[in-house]
Amino acid sequence: MKRHFRELSVAGALLAVLAAMAVFAPAFYQPQPLLSLATREAPTLIVACGMAFVIIARQIDISVGSQFSVCGVCAGLLAARGWPLAAVLPASVAIGALLGALNGFLVAGLGLPSIVVTLATMVTLRQGLNLVRQGEFVNLPDGVQWFGLSQTTGQWLLVGFALLVLVVLALALRHLAAGRFVYAIGSDAEAARLAGIRPQRGTFFIFVFMGALVGLAAMLNLVQSPQVQPLTGNGLELKVIAAVVVGGVAISGGRGNLWGAFAGLLLLACVAPALIHLRIEAYWEKAIQGAIILLAVVADGWRSRKAKG
Amino acid sequence: MKSRLLRLALLAGLVLGTVSGAAAAAGSKLVVAFLPKSKGNAYFISCKAGAEKAAKELGVELLFDGPTDSNAAKQNEIVENWITLGVDVIAVAAENREGISTALRKAQKQGIKVLTYDADAMPDARSFFVNQATPEGIGHALMDEAARLLNGEGEFAMIVATLTAANQREWQKHIEARLKDKYPKMKLVAVRPCDDLKDKAQSEATAIMSANPNLKLIMSICSPGVPGAAEAVKQAGKTGKVRVIGLGLPNENRRYVKDGVTDSVILWKTEDLGYLTIQAGVALAKDQLKKGATSFKAGSLGTFEIKGDNILLGKPFVFNKANIDQFNF
Amino acid sequence: MAEIPKPKSSSASVWKDRLLSHEMILLYVLIALWVFFYFAGTTVNRRGVVVGFGTLDRQFDILRHSCEIGLLALALTPVIITGGIDLSVGSLLGLSAILFGSFWHDAGLPIPVAIALTLGVGAVAGGLNGALITQLKLPPLIVTLGTYSLFRGLAEAITRGSVTYTDFPAGFLFLGQERLLGLPAQAWLFFAVAAAIWLLVHRTTFGRSFRAIGFAPEGARYAGLPVDRRVASAYVIAGVIAALAAIIYTARLGQAKADAGTGYELFAITAVVLGGTSIFGGTGSIYGTLIGVAAIAVLKNGLACLPAVMRMNAAEEISGLLTGALLLLALTAGVLPRHWAQWRARHPARAG
Repeated sequence: MKRHFRELSVAGALLAVLAAMAVFAPAFYQPQPLLSLATREAPTLIVACGMAFVIIARQIDISVGSQFSVCGVCAGLLAARGWPLAAVLPASVAIGALLGALNGFLVAGLGLPSIVVTLATMVTLRQGLNLVRQGEFVNLPDGVQWFGLSQTTGQWLLVGFALLVLVVLALALRHLAAGRFVYAIGSDAEAARLAGIRPQRGTFFIFVFMGALVGLAAMLNLVQSPQVQPLTGNGLELKVIAAVVVGGVAISGGRGNLWGAFAGLLLLACVAPALIHLRIEAYWEKAIQGAIILLAVVADGWRSRKAKG
Repeated sequence: MKSRLLRLALLAGLVLGTVSGAAAAAGSKLVVAFLPKSKGNAYFISCKAGAEKAAKELGVELLFDGPTDSNAAKQNEIVENWITLGVDVIAVAAENREGISTALRKAQKQGIKVLTYDADAMPDARSFFVNQATPEGIGHALMDEAARLLNGEGEFAMIVATLTAANQREWQKHIEARLKDKYPKMKLVAVRPCDDLKDKAQSEATAIMSANPNLKLIMSICSPGVPGAAEAVKQAGKTGKVRVIGLGLPNENRRYVKDGVTDSVILWKTEDLGYLTIQAGVALAKDQLKKGATSFKAGSLGTFEIKGDNILLGKPFVFNKANIDQFNF
Repeated sequence: MAEIPKPKSSSASVWKDRLLSHEMILLYVLIALWVFFYFAGTTVNRRGVVVGFGTLDRQFDILRHSCEIGLLALALTPVIITGGIDLSVGSLLGLSAILFGSFWHDAGLPIPVAIALTLGVGAVAGGLNGALITQLKLPPLIVTLGTYSLFRGLAEAITRGSVTYTDFPAGFLFLGQERLLGLPAQAWLFFAVAAAIWLLVHRTTFGRSFRAIGFAPEGARYAGLPVDRRVASAYVIAGVIAALAAIIYTARLGQAKADAGTGYELFAITAVVLGGTSIFGGTGSIYGTLIGVAAIAVLKNGLACLPAVMRMNAAEEISGLLTGALLLLALTAGVLPRHWAQWRARHPARAG
């Protein structure tokens, strides 16, 4: 109980919001709109999982939004050229992994700070995409949306798949040796090295993995509509970093888990629909999101201060 | 090691220099600079196509640059750069009326001809405004179209680009004024920003529909919001029950208009807007267009009316199922 | 992560080190860029007038446009030297701008009072960051990510997105749009702040403690430095400077709106890091930051004057692209000698 206090308190906050919605805006609970909203968050969830890995390993990746756009546009162009989805999917994952490998090489290989490296790759990728696409939408052929299945099947498939990824990764992080390595690298790289783990190699692969997940998420986004907008990933990085941190993953590395990140994501994703249902004007949205982030970290600070006495 | 890198950088610089030096042969041509609100926006890309056509016909050089996002401060910086480059004409779609006027007045003082298109600056900061439709005209057209579809009765919601964009605020103001004046039985239940992201517009529209079961129509006044809202309506299975209209381009909306999800997309002919702007700018620089003129002949497009210092492009155009296939932009 | 100072064997090698320091290399690149754009970006137009990058007007414009981001970069340098970061400066610029407009327009206060109040707001906002970071021992990245949303959100909520303050008196607009003693008026303010911060960071024990804290916070604490107070003061200073940047921004554009300064924090951080300040703290210099700001400004404005780039209609995108690339290059160049030395140590035979 005590060990998972942080995750449980976020889950508690989420439940409180959901309960408040049940009382004040019961219309929120309609199966079809909820499923649609959940489907919209499925790609974000996958990116958030990757981000949790990166942050637990004491790094950060702010280029994920740009990667997401690049993967989405490339996958869209391939699909528009008539590639079958079975080929587009691995291509998108591979492009993401490649972009992640670039970050990984610069961070792990050259020992550069990840925040600056990914800031640079974020700007470079985004402007590169602007230069090439000039904002033009990619129109996808019929049969790409929902993988050619019916809408409801497609939505359940995407949500189910994202949850499956979450569960598998959460369990892997907790129980597999590779998962424990991530914590080891994040809490004390030197000790990890002495224990026989190669932190550099680990960090490199975490960035590659992050990129691959972004490529996967871009595909989950691609199949939700018949067009891809090149701006699609703008602002995604801040959304997932905020979700992961609100969910109790420590930015200083080595602490946190995917369940917390999941709860954090849901909590933040609830803000906009909740405001709409409660008929609060949109002007307050950013301030409320900022307040949630601050509240979560302040709670962290207070607890650790009390723990120290 | 470091000095080697430095040498490399210098070498790269020299190569670039030669390339650009070779390209810098122009100088006899009239130079017209064309500033959009945001470069990556399909709307302005389409304006640019018309501008390029006019520039080619008239034999002038066209510069096209703008912020990659809608950014008032950056617009000023670009205009000031053009002033020192000594261009002959500057045509601007103003992100912010007062902000840009500072820079435009400076340009006029240097003898550069200034005109605005799409969104006006302060009247003293430019010679002419190529008026594709006044904010009032756009607001009224959208609101009237919404009322026509709903027979003047029912709830509707709006999707805007951001809460701070100047033109969006202006349009919204006129839509709300028209609503108050003419359609007492209609009600605006939500206004949500989508940050110019189609995907975000889709999420917002989904939530709006679930919160407002009696919603009859979604109106998007930013172009990525129209397909976003349409996709949400389609996925909610409310095609025909919740109408979608908005400002947008035919190509981004064709699919939804044909499927009957989106009823109508309102826009002027953006290519003509770009074309007319460049024609007017060049005429201004050659002293063929002067204050007080009442009409202007713009190349292959024919003659346009001038009212005061506004060159009128004509009424906004409504694209719907019947006519959308005739347009490709 | 700071490099351990090498033993100084002779004055010649000291000079060699100095001339090949990160800041000096960047200065050479800056000069090279400037000379290149001077020749490639200056032309004679149809009317026989010299136009483009090489004109004095253009140089002054570049200076004028760089003041706000330059101020934010100056504000961030001490913060980053202490090992922190402040993502909220751009949002604080927006919040300060509309509060300044509101003090003047809605509350009817005279401009100087409004300016003083705005600077006070900046100090309070910076103090909020500082207090959360030092009193609750929270990571600066996350605290300022929160205030990044919070400050922008407040600016939007207060103005409901739509209020734009304009029609400022000419005397105030002078600060942003006219020239004083030959230079753009706001440049004097920028130089004054730069000098003050330089004195603080490089010439006072107060400022030197920033480096000690960034280098080893625990060590600084044992050495008797009031670490928390010093760190908090860095954020307060950053807040005040961000508010000052807001005032200059308002005077330059003649308007105050809730979207002022969106995305500026990224440019400012880029300039600081490009200028050789380590993101891990402990090392960094104000002159490095100034050179970094200048390099980005020259690159951006110079590209916009190149005929080849103009024909591609892509000055914005290419300058963003090259700024990112320059940052990566500078970072890589900074660590390569170390890797090279390590490799040589491991493979003495192959390196010959």
